[in-house]
Amino acid sequence: MGNSWLGRPLFARLILALFVLALTLVGGIVSAQDAPAGVLRIGLPAPVVLDPSLHTNDPETLLNRAIYDYLVEVLPDSTIGPNLATDWTISDDGLTYTFNLRDDVTFHDGSQFTATDVVFTFDRIREAGSPALNILGDGYTVAADGDFTVVFTLPEVNADFLYGLGAPQSLVLKAGTAEPNVIVEGDNPYVNFNGTGPFILESYEPGAGATLVANDAYWTDGLQLSGLQLVFIDDSVAQVDALLSGQLDFIFKVPIAQVDRLADLQGINVLQRSTSQHPVIRLRTDEGHLGADVRVRQAFKYATDREALNDILLQGRGTVGNNDPIAPVFSFFFDSNIQNQTYDPAMACDLLTEAGMNPVEATLYVPEAFEYADMAALLQQQWAAACINVDIQVRTEGYYYDVSNPDNYFDVDLGITGWGARPSPQILLRQAYIESGIETYFNESRFVDPELEALVAEASQTTDQDARRAIYAQVSQIFLERGPIIVPYFAPLFGATSGRVQGLEMAPFVGLTDLRSVSLSG
Amino acid sequence: MTTLDKSTAAPRMTASERGQFSLRTIFQGLTGRPMPLVGTLIVTFFIALALFGPQIAPFRFDEIIRGAARQPPSSTYWFGTDHLGRDVFSRVVWGAREIITIPLITTFLCVTLGATIGMFIGYVGGWVDEIVARLLDSLLAIPALVLAMVMLGTIGPSVAGIIIVIVLLYTPIVARVVRSATLNLRAAGYIEAAKLRGENIAYILFREILPGVLPALAVEAALRFSYAIFLTASLGFLGLGVQPPSPDWGRMVNEARSTFSLTPWALWFPAAAIGLLIIGVNLLSDGLRRVFRREGQLV
Repeated sequence: MGNSWLGRPLFARLILALFVLALTLVGGIVSAQDAPAGVLRIGLPAPVVLDPSLHTNDPETLLNRAIYDYLVEVLPDSTIGPNLATDWTISDDGLTYTFNLRDDVTFHDGSQFTATDVVFTFDRIREAGSPALNILGDGYTVAADGDFTVVFTLPEVNADFLYGLGAPQSLVLKAGTAEPNVIVEGDNPYVNFNGTGPFILESYEPGAGATLVANDAYWTDGLQLSGLQLVFIDDSVAQVDALLSGQLDFIFKVPIAQVDRLADLQGINVLQRSTSQHPVIRLRTDEGHLGADVRVRQAFKYATDREALNDILLQGRGTVGNNDPIAPVFSFFFDSNIQNQTYDPAMACDLLTEAGMNPVEATLYVPEAFEYADMAALLQQQWAAACINVDIQVRTEGYYYDVSNPDNYFDVDLGITGWGARPSPQILLRQAYIESGIETYFNESRFVDPELEALVAEASQTTDQDARRAIYAQVSQIFLERGPIIVPYFAPLFGATSGRVQGLEMAPFVGLTDLRSVSLSG
Repeated sequence: MTTLDKSTAAPRMTASERGQFSLRTIFQGLTGRPMPLVGTLIVTFFIALALFGPQIAPFRFDEIIRGAARQPPSSTYWFGTDHLGRDVFSRVVWGAREIITIPLITTFLCVTLGATIGMFIGYVGGWVDEIVARLLDSLLAIPALVLAMVMLGTIGPSVAGIIIVIVLLYTPIVARVVRSATLNLRAAGYIEAAKLRGENIAYILFREILPGVLPALAVEAALRFSYAIFLTASLGFLGLGVQPPSPDWGRMVNEARSTFSLTPWALWFPAAAIGLLIIGVNLLSDGLRRVFRREGQLV
């Protein structure tokens, strides 16, 4: 017995363990690469809020957009296109919107889609306090006029109302769905995921992934994928590695440092889209806070070398804007004649001396996201030459954006905040730079300027594009002179696909990317 | 009536019993064998870096050299530059101070606290010992990194926060080790003699028991130091450690991770430094254990 292979237990077990490990690894790779034909595999962070009327970020939107449909579509070029609504009319006074609906649409449970579902959806959006109300306003009423016509009535003109109907949370639900997207016990756990969308949820494993199959009864014939496989990976570098190892077909929000790595590889396509996504370096302007004196705000602008930030952090791929949220991507509204403050540390010191605040000693709070921690390190050095000494404090995103924490983004004196892409500059202006934004935790700088308030209100009600452009030029001028923010650049969005993906065009708010026309070769 | 003379009435313990040992013995023990010698040299090297780093490094740790981003190692930039244009060699050298200072402070605090608690409950015994020992055991059941992440995630990352967290995590471990050593000494003749002389509890703990547990404590301190380095670096890697632009090695590894394809050297050197320092401290603590075991101070 002593001479049998069992007589060398350590050696035998080691060999066995290595064999099992090798089998597991090979099995994992094979199973990952053996995805069913026609199934698009997407790597994305795990969604947290599943309610279609309340979700906020890209992964949540992407999942729900596959299951549900919008009344109208915000297209990648920020124009509005038809979807469940085939066409619409706006009354002369701009207060009544009438939509004609498709009559060939069914929900995943087989029931007919009608105007009642639209009424239910937008009543629920208002009652639930959905983020879509930031664009829609909460004063609208919605009523059905027959089975396939729906009428919205507004209390005042809202030039962006159609963008509100295409907001990420404006997905159309089945009338009477009390708890949309809540997994239930029993044979049909996904009964509450009942949309009209192109894909039907087949399985959902929190924190791990989801599988969806194509909706055979979908109302348009263009659907080419047989399903989606969502793989939840929070770490963006791990997503890149998974794409490179052939386990994924599409990832988005690729870190800028990974772009060069991917660009040179065969079989990988790098996608780039200009967006209105931008970081803001912002000061609190309310009494007793760092930026209360306009000269201090000016000093920070002179102390910041925007071009250097863009060159070093984005390798020049971003676009320097005007220190306001109106991005160059809104080409019709962007004023290219505005002359920003150039980097002038001496001027910054003079302004601070005038304000009696030379030198400034402050703490710069930064979320651990994108390249913001690196930006803080660069700013620290730029500002040091301009009589501004800052200590950097980096916080995880979850901590930083949770207003119940003591040093959250909304309360700190000086911070960097990331703002995602919006289809219209008006949305950002209304959310973050007028007085009502203080109550909703969006106006983090507490900037209240009567002239700006009046201009933003006027823009909301101005449907004429030229008139609106003139208003935004005045808005940009106010931000230049006394605004609470520095926008170092508007960042492009990078995504990547495997070579077999065709027809994928990323939306600026990438969760809204339309997957219906995507196909897979091979 | 006879009086008890403290100086003569009770027998004093022998040098061996008290755990006395000379620095010369330790030095000889550490340098007489190759592995402890290597450990001693590595730790000495990093302590020297921590002390004289600013004089050695050619650049400041936060200096961004315009036009020098992503440079590979060269005669100008020995370890290359990172994605922002900071000299990696200078950052690693400056970083030695961070990575050694915090673990040193935490080790001192947790050894002091842990030794006091451990000696006290070991000496007093009874229900006090039972309750406190079980409490310490329950704290040990929670994974260190998870607990550290939860605590720092709640109070926010800061140097003070890291020190508090590490002290809270490692004090129970030290206390447990010292308690065990104290239990072995509790019934020793010289302890009984001290009681008979009427010495107070503080005297007995720190003058009579402490020398006896010192060998075990020294080895444990070296181990805690090594673990504290690892935890500090891990927290830095997770973004819960020292704040940028600090050259914390863990944070450097994290920052370089996303740019690894472009600047792999920015990851190699801080990672190697962490590994080397931990290996050095472990070899040193292993050497210490051997010395004390040989001298009969440890079983």
